[in-house]
Amino acid sequence: MKKVRGKSIFITACVAPAVILFIIFMMIPTFNVFKMSLYKWGGYSNTKQFVGLNNFKILMEDMNFFRSFQNTVLLIVCVTITTIGLSLIFAGILSREKIKGQNFFRIIFYIPNILSVVVISAIFSAIYDPNSGLLNSIIGIFRGSDKSPILWLGDQKLVIYSLVIAMVWQAIGYYMVMYMASMASVPESLYESANLEGAGKIRQFFSITLPLIWTNIRTTLTFFVISSINISFLIVKALTNGGPDGATEVFLSYMYKQAYTNSSYGYGMAIGVVVFLFSFGLSALINFVTKREPLEF
Amino acid sequence: MKMKKVVSSLLVAAMAASLLAGCGGSNDQATTDSAPADTTSESSSADTDAEPADTTEASTEDTSDDAEPAAEQTLKVAAFEGGYGADMWSEVVAAFEASHPGVTVELTIDKKIEDVISPGMKAGDYPDVVHLATGREAALTETLTKEKALLPLTDVLEMTVPGEDVKVKDKIIPGFLDTLATNPYGDGVTYYAPMFYSPCGLFYNAGLFKEKGWDVPTTWEEMWALGDTASAEGIALFTYPTTGYFDAFTYATLSSAGGSDFFNSCMTYEDGIWESENATKVFELIAKLGSYTEGTTVANANNDNFTKNQQLILDNKAIFCPNGTWLPGEMAEAPRADGFEWGFMAIPAVNEGGAGCSFCWFEQMWIPAAAQNQDMAKEFVAYMYSDEAAQIFAKSTAIQPITGVSDSLEGDNKMFYSIYDNGATAVMGGFASTAPVEGVNMLDTLCGTVNSIVSGDKTVAEWQAAVEEASDKLREAME
Repeated sequence: MKKVRGKSIFITACVAPAVILFIIFMMIPTFNVFKMSLYKWGGYSNTKQFVGLNNFKILMEDMNFFRSFQNTVLLIVCVTITTIGLSLIFAGILSREKIKGQNFFRIIFYIPNILSVVVISAIFSAIYDPNSGLLNSIIGIFRGSDKSPILWLGDQKLVIYSLVIAMVWQAIGYYMVMYMASMASVPESLYESANLEGAGKIRQFFSITLPLIWTNIRTTLTFFVISSINISFLIVKALTNGGPDGATEVFLSYMYKQAYTNSSYGYGMAIGVVVFLFSFGLSALINFVTKREPLEF
Repeated sequence: MKMKKVVSSLLVAAMAASLLAGCGGSNDQATTDSAPADTTSESSSADTDAEPADTTEASTEDTSDDAEPAAEQTLKVAAFEGGYGADMWSEVVAAFEASHPGVTVELTIDKKIEDVISPGMKAGDYPDVVHLATGREAALTETLTKEKALLPLTDVLEMTVPGEDVKVKDKIIPGFLDTLATNPYGDGVTYYAPMFYSPCGLFYNAGLFKEKGWDVPTTWEEMWALGDTASAEGIALFTYPTTGYFDAFTYATLSSAGGSDFFNSCMTYEDGIWESENATKVFELIAKLGSYTEGTTVANANNDNFTKNQQLILDNKAIFCPNGTWLPGEMAEAPRADGFEWGFMAIPAVNEGGAGCSFCWFEQMWIPAAAQNQDMAKEFVAYMYSDEAAQIFAKSTAIQPITGVSDSLEGDNKMFYSIYDNGATAVMGGFASTAPVEGVNMLDTLCGTVNSIVSGDKTVAEWQAAVEEASDKLREAME
């Protein structure tokens, strides 16, 4: 009996630091975000005014917010689909095929992930430069250089896709390495037997590789949702600052603008609550939809 | 066995405690860190540990005998480091300390001063004097104004300038104290002290005009004619760094279109004012200018690339660019066309036969209502208008609105500041402060939309309606 009690004390002591830290640094701030979303507050003074759900009511009529919502959803969808496709293909090639300079490619693909987002923004603002940029120079070879340049960051219909390209470029390496890690653990014998039975490379990829790394893919889908929301803020902040005329405003950049430059801290927190619920809900939904019986090998 | 368990439990407990202690420590660190003056403090005697005690002591003594600054006092000054550099501030502070024995000034100066001081302010540690203009992206000044967290400066204006026998208000150029940029609530009470001013207008390459034999346009008719001539030679009439620069441009043209009363009605969100005939003239003028704008401007009109737009002027790819007098300094290192020479002019009159106009932008100094050492802060603000301080600032071409100060300027700067002597009307002010309105940002609606007008994504009517709608919402929030 005494032994059991001692053990539970021991376990409590072991878990306590993590729990306490979690409560202090996660639970309380999150609770505060929810609480502050019910107030009208500028951020500095002591005049906090309780307004109930009024911030959310305003939010429902705020077209700028819906625009940032649309942009965020578009970014999540486009970036996830493109990145997942490309990084799976690259990971498949690099882990299954014998090609020269395998490690070289692995490093090259991973480099964007090491760069800070501000550096990436600088690189892409050079690439997208209308007159001397890399992209327009290459396109100019085909369409003639006398045509008016394509404004990658100036055309409101195009600019969000310019961000997609930058975000995909930034994310591919990271997910590729993750997929390669789990592909490495798929037993070689499965591929050998598939070879003997005459399955081609593509067939092997879809029937062996993909099902066996499915748990990993599911995990990364949640990462995609979270990182798209976060990285899009950084890239937007450094590359376009939400412009031209709000065409690239995303969740967090709009929240930041409202909370810090429009002196509506409470309103910003209300946006934060929506972002929180949205990303939570979306991750849960993705998790539910992609649930499969895990395959053992 | 049991012993082992006890020992390991103890170890875990120790680890947990040290972890938490570590956190606690870093928290403390954060709060002392945010005492703004620490890292960049220029004063030699600033002792971090003794500092809080110092200030409280000073303030209690201060209230007992306010006119006698003989006691040891610490004044915390936070200043924005603009294009004029940081040295002039250290010099002024040294001069202030010399003339006020017993006063130690802790100067914090930074290009992003709001990031340095606001964490401390949120924790209740306020600087005594802040030099930070409105219109900055982080909008710290506006936020404190909306929160009613500023000290009225009415009695500072009545004070005698330290070391002189003139009142502060008598030294300031007439007109500078009657604007919404000093009296943000529009109630005649001054909350911001006007500091360095700078005329905004259109910059151009005077060398290009000489080379081509063009005349500098003085009316919009001439402007459009020049635009057509120039576009035949592949030069665009207009470019702008970012849409943020349209605040000064719009204010000047509004005032030119309808006079200063009309301008003030716009700035105080009068009902229907943005749909009036005079406002329509301004909207249409900007839209027409948009059609003469250099093609790549919108793509570069962001914080990363705005210098590329300014470079268009230096490269003779565009003729005019709205900006303030800091532009030549900002582009000092940039390559330029042969024979390049800065030219600067006021914005042509909107109505035929009217005077040109130029928005006069100025930086502001204010005292937070939560400042500890308010009396010395007021003394410091008053000192800013002394001849001694003005001369130190003028050496760095930072010109205060004090009569006669701009006379000492030379070269390009002399030309910039003489814009008002040549008949242009000075326009001053800015939007009146309101309680914060969620989701409504007047400057974004008014200026940010210019990008859409230039690229053709929005029509003038849509723009005008959006501005009027924002104005309606803000009017309700005015008190």
